[in-house]
Amino acid sequence: MSLNISIDGKTCTCESGEFLLEVARRNGFYIPTLCAHESLSEQGCCRVCIVEIVSGERSQIVVSCVYPVERAIEVLTNSEKVKALRGMTLALLQKLAPASSLIAGMCKAYGAPELPRLEARADDDTCILCGLCVKACAQLGTGAIAAVNRGIEKKIATPYDQPSATCIGCASCAQVCPTGSIVVKQDAQERSIWGRTFTLLACDRCGVILDTTEAVAYAATLRDAPPEHLCPDCRKQQVAQAFVGVYGK
Amino acid sequence: MSAPTHPSPQGSKRSGEQAAVEQRTLLVCCGSGCLATNAAAVADALAEQLALSGFDALVKTGIKRTGCNGFCENGPIVKVMPDDISYYKVKPKDADAIVASLQGEPVQRLLYRADDGKRVLRHLENPFYAPQQRIALRHIGTIDPESLEDYRARDGYQALEKALSLSADALISEVEASGLRGRGGAGFPTGRKWRTAVGFETACSYVVCNGDEGDPGAFMDRSLLEGDPHGILEGLAIAAVAIGAERGFLYIRDEYRLAQQNITKAIAQTEAAGLLGDDIMGSGRKLHLEVVRGGGAFVCGESTALMASIEGRLGEPRAKYVRSVQRGLWDQSTVLNNVETLANIPWIILHGGAAFAATGTEGSSGAKVFSLVGKIKRSGLVEVPMGSTLRHLIFDIGGGIKGSRPFKAVQTGGPSGGCIPENLLDLSVDFDTLTANGAMMGSGGMIVMDDHDCMVEVARYYTNFLAEESCGKCTPCREGLRHMLRILTDITEGRGQAGDLELLEQMGTTMRENSLCALGKSAPNPVLSTLRFFRDEYQAHIHDKTCPAGVCPALTAFSIDAAVCTSCGACVKACPAGIISGSKGAPYRIAASGCIACGSCREVCRFDAVRAERKLHT
Ligand SMILES: Cc1cc2nc3c(=O)[nH]c(=O)nc-3n(C[C@H](O)[C@H](O)[C@H](O)COP(=O)(O)O)c2cc1C
Ligand code: SF4
Ligand code: SF4
Ligand code: FES
Repeated sequence: MSLNISIDGKTCTCESGEFLLEVARRNGFYIPTLCAHESLSEQGCCRVCIVEIVSGERSQIVVSCVYPVERAIEVLTNSEKVKALRGMTLALLQKLAPASSLIAGMCKAYGAPELPRLEARADDDTCILCGLCVKACAQLGTGAIAAVNRGIEKKIATPYDQPSATCIGCASCAQVCPTGSIVVKQDAQERSIWGRTFTLLACDRCGVILDTTEAVAYAATLRDAPPEHLCPDCRKQQVAQAFVGVYGK
Repeated sequence: MSAPTHPSPQGSKRSGEQAAVEQRTLLVCCGSGCLATNAAAVADALAEQLALSGFDALVKTGIKRTGCNGFCENGPIVKVMPDDISYYKVKPKDADAIVASLQGEPVQRLLYRADDGKRVLRHLENPFYAPQQRIALRHIGTIDPESLEDYRARDGYQALEKALSLSADALISEVEASGLRGRGGAGFPTGRKWRTAVGFETACSYVVCNGDEGDPGAFMDRSLLEGDPHGILEGLAIAAVAIGAERGFLYIRDEYRLAQQNITKAIAQTEAAGLLGDDIMGSGRKLHLEVVRGGGAFVCGESTALMASIEGRLGEPRAKYVRSVQRGLWDQSTVLNNVETLANIPWIILHGGAAFAATGTEGSSGAKVFSLVGKIKRSGLVEVPMGSTLRHLIFDIGGGIKGSRPFKAVQTGGPSGGCIPENLLDLSVDFDTLTANGAMMGSGGMIVMDDHDCMVEVARYYTNFLAEESCGKCTPCREGLRHMLRILTDITEGRGQAGDLELLEQMGTTMRENSLCALGKSAPNPVLSTLRFFRDEYQAHIHDKTCPAGVCPALTAFSIDAAVCTSCGACVKACPAGIISGSKGAPYRIAASGCIACGSCREVCRFDAVRAERKLHT
C-alpha cells in the first residue's frame, strides 16, 4: 500500500512498512546515522538518527532507522527537540570515544554541548559500541567477536579477550566500523587483527593480495568449491582464455 | 466424646456428631521464606507428633504444606483449620504443644502479639491480614500447591471450563469490563492487549507468562508461582483460549527453582488429567505449555528481550514500533502477561468483570499485591484494593516505622521507581497517581525509609543497579547511567560541584526521551524523583559537604553523647571495626581513628545516644 507523508514540509511517497530513514534518504533528506549499515540488518542503538513525528497535538521522538511508516505522518528532521536530544547523545558518545574524529566532527556539526564536567574515557578510545562489527562478523557466520558484559561494562571483544580460534582475519569488522576503531596491521605477507596474525595469500598469476589464507579457505567452504587462488581479474582472464582455447579456432 | 474446647469459627458451629468426623488440618507455610526458617522440619515434626498422638481416632487430622503466607519475617507459620488459629515463629520442638492443643487450649506463646500487646487467635484478627483483600493471592496459604485435587476442590479450572463455553469476543469483553491492567509494570489494559492480538492474523500465536521478577526485594510473582501454580496455568490457558494460541511458555527467573518445579509438576498434572494438552477439557482444542528458565539478567524481563531469550537469542530489547501482539515470538502474534495479571484472570471469569471493577479506582481496578519492606514494623506480601493510601499500607498494615523513628520516604516501583515524601502519604496508590508523582507502580515493591536513610545514597544505589543491569545496547541509557553514577558517587563522597543537579536533570531528559526500551526511559526516575522532593539534601552534600541523614561515610563522623549513653554496651558488639570502648557505669567512646562510619552503632542504640556529625576534613 502506498502512503503520502510529509518530511520537513515536502510530500514524499512510500510503501507502508518502509523504514522512515530510507524514505527520507530517497527523498534527499540527510539524517545522520552511526549504527546503520546498508548491508546489515537495522539495530536502532546509537540513537542519533532521531526525528520528530507530529500528528495533531501529539509529537513523538522516533528512531528513523527502525521506525516503519504505517500511516500518513508529518516528520520534522531537525526540530528543536531533535537538535537538543541528538546533541546530548553525540556529546555522550564523544566522552566514550574522545579520539574519534568522526564523532568530534558530528558534535561540531550538530552543536553538541561540551559538558566538561563529564569524565571522558582514555584518550585513544574510539569505539562507540555501535555493534556493527559484531553484526558483520555474525552475518559472515564466523561470530569471532561479541559484545561482552552488560550495561556500562559493555565492550567488544573476542571470547575471554584471547585470540579467537574462529576469526579468519577477513577484517570485515574493520570495514564496517564507522570510527576506524579496529586495529588492522598489514604488510606484504601478513595481517594482524584481534590479537592474531594471519598469512596473506596472493593471486597465483598477478601477485595481488587476495585475503588471509583462512578467509580464502572459508569462502571456499561457503561456495562448496576448492579455494580460489586467483584474483577476480585474473580469474576472468583465465576463463576467457579457456574459452578461446575451446571455441576460439 | 469430648468436643474440642476451641472457639469454633463463625458459621461452623459443630454438632457433636460432626465433630467426631471433623477433618482438622494443620497448614504449614512452606513458601521460600518459611522454608528458609526451617518450615520443612516443622512440618515433619508435626506429622510425627500427630502419628504418635493416635489422634485420627478422635479427630481426623491432616497436614498440608502450603505456599507463602506473605508474613515471612514471622515464619514458619502454622494454621489450624477450620478453627482458624495461626501460630508464628514455630519451631520443630513446638510440635507436641500444637498437637496437644488440638484437644485443649491454643498455645498462647505462639500466637501473634498485636500492637496493643494482646495475643490474636485468628488470621483475620491479625492487623497484617485484616485489611487485605485477596484476589490474586486467594488460594495462597490455604491450598497445597502440589495438589491438583486441592485446587479443583476450590473451583479450580471452572473458569477455564466457562471460558471454553464462551466466544472469544465474549471472553475478551469480560476481561475488558474488569478494567484489569497489567501487573508487570507498564499497566497496559489486559483486555485491550488480547483484543488487539486477535486482530492480527499470523500463522499461529503464542501466550507467554512473564515470571522473570527482576526487581530486587520483590517476591509476589515467586510466591504465586510457588504457592498457586494451577492458578497461573489456568490464567494462561484462558489467555490462550481467548486468542487461539496452542503453545505457551512460562519464563521463570533462573533462581526460582521451587517455582519452576511446582509449575512443571502442575503442567504434567493438567496434561494427565486432560485439562490441558492435546484436548483441553474435551473441547478439541490444544494447549502445550513449557517452562523456560530465565536468562539471569534484569533486562530479560522486558518483553522484547524476554522473547529474544526464549528464541535462544541474546536477551536484549528491540524497538517496539511493531508490537509483540502483532509480531512477537518467531514473528507470530504473541500475548505476554505478568504472573500476577494472570492470577487475576480465573477470578474475573468466574465472578465477572464488573465484580473486579467494583474494587479499586476508576483507572486502576481490582487489588494489587505489594511487597512491603524496609524500616517498617510488619513487612511482607500484602494485597489491598487499588486506591488504598500509602499511609494505610505503611501505618495500618505495616504498623509504622521500626523503633518509632520518623517516616522519611517510600520508594515504590522497583529500581527505576521513585521516592515519595511524607507530605504525600495520603496519595492513592494506583497506576496514574504514582506516575504523576514521579514514582511508579512497577511490580509493586515498596521500601519504607526513615530519617536514617540518605536520599542521595538511595538514588546512587538504584542508579548503580541500573548501570549494571542495563543491556548497554543504546547510547542514552548506557552513557547516561555511566555519567549519572559518577556524579552521584562524587556527590556522596564530597566531590559534588555547582551545576551537577542541572546536569543530572539534563541527562535524565535525554535518557527518558531517547532510550530504546523502558529500562532506559525510566532509569533517571530514582535521581529525578529524589531531586524533586529532596533537593535540599543534595545541596547539603554539594555545598556544605554534609550528609544530613548521617549515612555517607565520607561526610559523616559518629560520636557517643556521654550524657545519654547508659553504657549498655550494645554498640560495642555491633561495631565491625571494633573501636568502641568503655565499661559498665561509664559512657562508651568511639576511638578517634579507625571509624568506617557505617552507622551500625547508631542503628543498635536504643537510647539514641549516637550522634552523626559532619566529618571535618583536616
Ligand atoms: C527492564 C524491564 C524489566 C521488566 N521486568 C519484568 C518482570 O520481571 N516481570 C514482568 O512481568 N514484567 C517485567 N517488565 C514489563 C514487561 O516488559 C511487560 O510489560 C509485562 O510483562 C507485560 O505484562 P502485563 O501487561 O501483564 O503487565 C519489565 C520491563 C522492563 C522495561
Ligand atoms: S569497534 Fe567500531 S563497529 Fe565495532 S562497536 Fe566499536 S565503533 Fe562499532
Ligand atoms: S534503554 Fe538500556 S536496557 Fe533498553 S535497550 Fe537501551 S541500553 Fe538496553
Ligand atoms: S542509525 Fe538509527 S539508531 Fe543508530
